[in-house]
Amino acid sequence: MIECQHVFKRYPGGNEALSDVSFMLEAGEMAFLTGHSGAGKSTLLKLISLIERPTRGQIIVNNHNLGRLPPRRTPRFRRQIGVVFQDNKLLNDRTVFDNVALPLVVAGVTGDEIRKRVQAALDKVGLLARARSHPLMLSGGEQQRVGIARAIAHRPSLLIADEPTGNLDAAMSDEIIDLFRDFNDHGVTVLIATHDWRHIARCQKRVIELGAGHLVTAA
Amino acid sequence: MKGYLARHAQVLVATLGQFARHPAATAATILMIGVTIALPTGLYVGLHNLERLSHGWHRGDGLTVYLHRGRSDARALAAIRRLPGVRAVRYTSPQKGLAEFERRSGFGKVLTVLRHNPLPGVVTVSLRGASPARLHTLAATLRRLPDVGHVQSNRLWLERLNATLRLGRRLVMILAVLLGLALVLILGNTTRVAVANRADEIEVIRLVGGTDAFIRRPFLYTGALIGAFGALCAWALITLGLAVLSGPVQRLDTLYASHYGLVGLGGGSALRLVLLCAALGWLGARLAVGRRLARGRA
Repeated sequence: MIECQHVFKRYPGGNEALSDVSFMLEAGEMAFLTGHSGAGKSTLLKLISLIERPTRGQIIVNNHNLGRLPPRRTPRFRRQIGVVFQDNKLLNDRTVFDNVALPLVVAGVTGDEIRKRVQAALDKVGLLARARSHPLMLSGGEQQRVGIARAIAHRPSLLIADEPTGNLDAAMSDEIIDLFRDFNDHGVTVLIATHDWRHIARCQKRVIELGAGHLVTAA
Repeated sequence: MKGYLARHAQVLVATLGQFARHPAATAATILMIGVTIALPTGLYVGLHNLERLSHGWHRGDGLTVYLHRGRSDARALAAIRRLPGVRAVRYTSPQKGLAEFERRSGFGKVLTVLRHNPLPGVVTVSLRGASPARLHTLAATLRRLPDVGHVQSNRLWLERLNATLRLGRRLVMILAVLLGLALVLILGNTTRVAVANRADEIEVIRLVGGTDAFIRRPFLYTGALIGAFGALCAWALITLGLAVLSGPVQRLDTLYASHYGLVGLGGGSALRLVLLCAALGWLGARLAVGRRLARGRA
């Protein structure tokens, strides 16, 4: 599902965020991407979701060689993956329903199909009753679950999450991680960046560890 | 195809909804565009009315001959009729001229004070194929006739007017181009601000796989609709202006015993104006949003 080969990312100014990172994540796998702040976790996720492009090296996601994907194909590629952000990136002037519907709307899904899929996604994260609310009326944990519902509404085969529990207390964090495990049980490939070793110990899943831009373990 | 149309209809409705949520700001922009467009369009309409007026005069194209008073008008008339190139003559006797003058000028009572009719006989001469050269030749010939006092060419005056109108048309065109450019810039700037205000939304749409076309669409609709509404506003302003002017014009018409009236912007021209302004608005929005989207593309 994800294959990184000798990936380097250097930002203007000489800051090397990633150097020579290689690993492979099979379809249906779930893994935690870990490391200290600044280790390169977010950078790696941005490269995998084609928000940025690597300086060198090759990344293959869902059989797409991202280096060969022209910019005009980027939107179509993004529709195959679901991304959950630490700051959830919800639109506060739209209802929960409209936020979750967004990936479907941009993909050209219409009418009744949107309603069905959004309801299914909200039901999955336990927020069906809050569909008409606005994000700011929800708690932090609920907002993050809306973000997750948006990431799965279009049924991606790969789910990527960048510190999805970063701003949450322990109980809420566990709920969120359990949601991801549930998706994984249903065949979705999951990659979660976190520096919370508690989750890693609790879940017994694969760990990919970065340290100062280098791969430490990919076991 | 059906899905494509449905998406466009959805954006159209959403854009109109956006207008309804910000009525004051939308109205201000539309009014600004309306005034901008009303200026050249109003001048165009004014010029068009002047041209109509001059077309009316074309029918009276020819020469006006004032005969010497106290000589034989019949002899003069016969001489003029014999001249080559003359198509028709219309004779107005001094008495008839006086009667008409009394009727039109409202000086009826005053004129009775005069013991003699001061007006000469007048002959209006129309020509076969009135080229300016022929006109001048005929005028010169007429001036040499013994009973002719004064010859006046309607044509020369008309040509001067036409030349002035041509200049006016050119000026309106320059003004229209400049203000069309202003329209593009105004809507470009409005769009730039709107895009900046919705930077978060644009980022999220991009992250969930929205194409640039999808992001652009609402801005393009906004630009085109504001342009179209601005044109309608301009049309309303001009119609209002004409309504305000119509009273005095009617009075002038009565005084001159003419029936010109004022013509506004016809349906076809109004539609063209709306379409043109919609296109310019679209263009302004397209330029602004295109510049913004070129940044932050992976």
